[in-house]
Amino acid sequence: MQTEATLAQSDVSEVDLVKRCQAGETEAFDELVTRYRTRVFGMIYNMVHNEQDAWDLAQESFLKAWKSIGRFRGQSSFYTWIYRIVMNVTIDWLRKKQVKGGGAEFDDAIQLREIDPASKTVPKTEALPHQAMERNEIRARIEKAIGQLSPEHRAVILMKEIDEMQYHEIAEALGCSIGTVMSRLFYARKKLQSLLRDVYENA
Amino acid sequence: MKTLEEKWTAWLDDQLSGHELSEFEASLPDKAAAQAEKAEAKKLGELLKRELSAHSLKNEEFFSHQLRERIVQEGGQRRERAHRSPTSGWWTIPRLLWAGTASLAVFLICTVFVLHQERPAEESQYLTQILNARVDPVVSPNGTVSIFEVKQDRVTVLWTEGLQTLPADYAAK
Repeated sequence: MQTEATLAQSDVSEVDLVKRCQAGETEAFDELVTRYRTRVFGMIYNMVHNEQDAWDLAQESFLKAWKSIGRFRGQSSFYTWIYRIVMNVTIDWLRKKQVKGGGAEFDDAIQLREIDPASKTVPKTEALPHQAMERNEIRARIEKAIGQLSPEHRAVILMKEIDEMQYHEIAEALGCSIGTVMSRLFYARKKLQSLLRDVYENA
Repeated sequence: MKTLEEKWTAWLDDQLSGHELSEFEASLPDKAAAQAEKAEAKKLGELLKRELSAHSLKNEEFFSHQLRERIVQEGGQRRERAHRSPTSGWWTIPRLLWAGTASLAVFLICTVFVLHQERPAEESQYLTQILNARVDPVVSPNGTVSIFEVKQDRVTVLWTEGLQTLPADYAAK
């Protein structure tokens, strides 16, 4: 996590970048994209579990952000603001996919076919083949478990556990109350605990 | 007032303090089990963080390049739409209202004019008087003869009044 000093510095330059974007400067927007593209992509990937879809949704989210940057008033951080766009785009996409797929997306019927083992991140240190395989299996289990949560529950647990966002930031990004965020976290954790207990107990 | 789920989540995330914390912990029926579940939640969080946060975006530069292209393309389309807007945007709502009102006024004026032309007020709808003459004042001093025509039935009516006798040369041939 950033210290307060670096946070303040990055906030100042971020405000400046946003102002330049609002004046139509695409280079400034490019800078904001460079800052957040990895986090945005990672979050979307964890929601949809497919690299190509995550790429497309991240592109769509940034494009929407560019189109509506004029309406950004700076009441929240740029990151929280763009997260809201990301979540709207991704949750909408997941909902449409669920409707098209007859609702199979959020239940036990989800298949591992959507998970490309080659798409896994290479560990920082070279792992032995059996370790890499084991890790892939664990990731597949986690992704399958997350796939059984509703889009809203997925979003909440990922923002809390991966991005370490505060309740109020999650609430702002999802456009709901803090109480709703806490309640969704409660149910998402319960579900994941029941599905992944053996994984984290043996890890 | 927080629900049980909200309090439980806040407790797991160490967000309760002071009176709220002691009150919540006192309300737990089995504190040891609750602590075990809290530890489990922490392990779950660590597992998710460890396994999911490392997913990186490959071809980052291509991602930005593609986005720049789309933004430029979008800007071009927007300018094109703005360029075309004077013709396509002529029929704005106020203009439509004005055009509608003017059309209605012209229609009403034409209707009134045509009706006025077709139905003169002084003309009878049923009878048209085509002759109104007095007869010989010596024979019938108060006598009059009128002829009317019924338009629709094509009938001519001869109306006589005040005649003492009908002169022979008035007989119909």
